[in-house]
Amino acid sequence: MMPKKNEPTPGYHGCYLRVDLSGNTSQRISLSESMLREYLGGSGLGVALLLAEETAIADPLSAEAAIAFVFSPLVGSPLTTSAKFAVVSKSPLTGRINDSLASSGFALAGKRTGHDALVLVGRATAPSILVIDDEQMRLEPAGELWGMTNSEAQRRVRERLGLDFQVATIGPAGERLVRFATISHDGRHAGRGGSGAVLGAKNIKAIAVRGSQQCGWADPTGLAQFAKQLSEKTFGPATAKYRELGTASNLLVFNRLNVLPTRNFQQGTFSGANRLSPEQLGTARERTRTSCAACTIGCEHIYSLGTKNGKKSDGVRLEYENLFALGPLCEVDDPDVVLKSSQRCDELGIDTISAGGTIAFAMECAERGYLDAPWLRFGEGPALLRALEEIGTGTGIGPQLAQGSRRLALELGHDTIDFAPQVKGLELPGYDPRGLQTMALGFAVGPRGADHNRSGAYEVDFSEAVDRRNVGPEAAALAIETEDRAALMDSLILCKFLRGVFADFFSEAAEMLQLVTGWEVSADELRTTAQRIVTAKKRFNILAGWTPAEDTLPKRMLHQPIADDPQAKLSPEQLQKLVTAYNIARGWSPEGWLPEP
Amino acid sequence: MLVTVELFGIPRMRAGVAKTTAEGACLGEVLDSLARQFPALAEDCIDGHCLRPGYTVNLRGERFVTDPKTPIADGDTLLLLTLDAGG
Repeated sequence: MMPKKNEPTPGYHGCYLRVDLSGNTSQRISLSESMLREYLGGSGLGVALLLAEETAIADPLSAEAAIAFVFSPLVGSPLTTSAKFAVVSKSPLTGRINDSLASSGFALAGKRTGHDALVLVGRATAPSILVIDDEQMRLEPAGELWGMTNSEAQRRVRERLGLDFQVATIGPAGERLVRFATISHDGRHAGRGGSGAVLGAKNIKAIAVRGSQQCGWADPTGLAQFAKQLSEKTFGPATAKYRELGTASNLLVFNRLNVLPTRNFQQGTFSGANRLSPEQLGTARERTRTSCAACTIGCEHIYSLGTKNGKKSDGVRLEYENLFALGPLCEVDDPDVVLKSSQRCDELGIDTISAGGTIAFAMECAERGYLDAPWLRFGEGPALLRALEEIGTGTGIGPQLAQGSRRLALELGHDTIDFAPQVKGLELPGYDPRGLQTMALGFAVGPRGADHNRSGAYEVDFSEAVDRRNVGPEAAALAIETEDRAALMDSLILCKFLRGVFADFFSEAAEMLQLVTGWEVSADELRTTAQRIVTAKKRFNILAGWTPAEDTLPKRMLHQPIADDPQAKLSPEQLQKLVTAYNIARGWSPEGWLPEP
Repeated sequence: MLVTVELFGIPRMRAGVAKTTAEGACLGEVLDSLARQFPALAEDCIDGHCLRPGYTVNLRGERFVTDPKTPIADGDTLLLLTLDAGG
C-alpha cells in the first residue's frame, strides 16, 4: 500500500509552488510525508505553511505576508463535495489566522498544476494576473481588469487565456483593501476575514490555473466503492434540508427560538422574517438549484430578482448567513433589497456577514448620533444598498465602513465598542450567543474570531445535552468535539453539509484517507491530527499577539439579555468559566496559553 | 392531552401546514398522532413513536427533546424541525 521511495504519497504531489511576486519567480518546494500526514491539506497544511513563512509577525497587507491556496488529498477523487480549496492568510480584519474555503473547478485545476498548494509572497509591481499553467508560472498585466466585478473579471480572463483555465478573482473591494474583501471563483467565495484584501495588496486581480497532472489513489477500486456509497447517502434525509430549502430555512427556526440577530443584536426576533423566508420567497419568484463541482448535494438555491411573471433577471444565491446579515440584522424586510444586496456583495467582492454586521453597527451609531450619516437608518433598504456601494467604491463613508466594526468603533469612540458585533474583529454570524451559549463559547475562543464554520457548537445547543440558555462548563468538551471535527473536515477537505451522513465521522474519514493515501490511519490518529491543527492556529495567533482578553464577546451580549427573551442572558463570569473549561480541556493553561514544547 | 405543533423546514413541506394540533401524553404519542395525520411525515421525519435521524423537537421554545417517553402537558407547544442548524 505504501508508495515506492521518491514517489509522492497517493493523493498528493508532494510539493508546493512558492511564488515570489516581487521577483516574478517561483520555486517548487518539497513537502515531507510526515508534514502531509500531520496537517493533511486545506486549513491544516495552510496554517503549517504560514507558520513556516513567519507570516504571523508580518503586516497582513505587506509584501512579506504570505497567502496560501491549499488543496487536499481528496481533491480530484470521486468523493462527493471534495472539490474544495482553502485560502489561508493572516487576516487584515482581525490580525489573526484566517482560513476561508471555497469550491469547484479552481480546486480541481489548481491541484492538476502538480502542486498541493500555491504560496504567494511579495508584491507585483503593477496589477497582474498570476497564471499557473502546469508547472509554469507567469504574471500578465491586469490593468484593464482593475475595477471590474468578480464575474466580469473571471469572464474576461478566461476569454483571454482559454476556457480550460479556472480563475479566482478579487472584486473592486479587494483592490481597495476593504478588510473584509473576498476571493471569488465561479459564484463561490473564500469569504471571511479579508483574504481578498491580502491579494489586492499584492496587486493580484486574478489567479488563473490549468494543469494536466493527476494524482494516483492507493486503492482506486475501494475508493470508487466508498465514494459511490457516500454519494448515495447524500440523496437521503440527512441532506434533504440543503437540497429542498437550503440553509436559508434556518431563518424561521431561529426567529421562533428568539436567536435571530435583529437590529444589530438588539432583538432576537424579526417581524419581517416570514417575508424573507425561503418558504415565502419560493412561492413569489423563480427558484433554481445548482451545486459545486463534484457535489451530489446541490445546496445552492438561486432566486430570481424579478417575480415569476415579471421580467427575467439574474439569479442570486441565497444562504442563511447573507439573508440574516443583510435582512434582520439591518432590519430590512424587502426581499428584493436583500437579494440585490447579496448580489452586490458577490460582485464587489465583500463578505456578506461582515458587510451586514458593520452596516448594522453603523446604523446604530448613526441613530445615536455618533456617525455623521443621517441617511443610514435601520429598515431602510436604499440606505443598505448605498452603504454597500460606498464600501465597494471607496466613496462617502465607505472607507470608514471598510475597516470593519471594531476599527470603526475605535475610531468613533464613546461606548460604541460595547455594541460592535465582533470577536477579535470578525463580525458575528447569525446566531445570538445569549440564547445559544455553547455557540457563545465557540465564538469567544474561535481562532479566526466569531465564526460558525470553525466551531459547530450550535449543534450542542440544538440537542438535549445542554440547556441552551444556561450552559455550564460541561459544554466545553462538546464544543471542542465540533471544533475538532471542523478542523478535520477543513483539512481533508469535505463540505460540512455532509456531516449528517456519517455515523462515525472520524472512523469513516480514516477509511477514506487510507483508500486515498495508503496510510494506515485510525480515527484516533485523526483526532490527534485535528487537535494539532487547532493548536497550530493558536500558535499562529500567539505569535501574532493574541492575549486571553480577546477570547470574549461584546459587552452588549454579556450585560443585556435578548430583549424579547429575558431568560437568554449570559454574564461575563459565566462566559469566563466556559472559556477556562475549554482551555483546560484542550490541555492549555486556564488562560489559554500553550504548554512549553 | 391536546398540544400545538409548529412545523419548520422539511417537516412543514412534508405536512403542508405550518401549525397543527396533536394528542398524546408523551413525545412518542404526539409523534405517532402526527404521523397518522400526515403520512408524509412518517416517510421522512417520524418512525412510529420516534424521530428519524436528522430531526428534533423543541418543547415550548425552550429545551430540545427526543426521548419518546418525555412527558407532554396539556396545552404544550412543540416545534418539529430539522436537527442540522448550520449554514
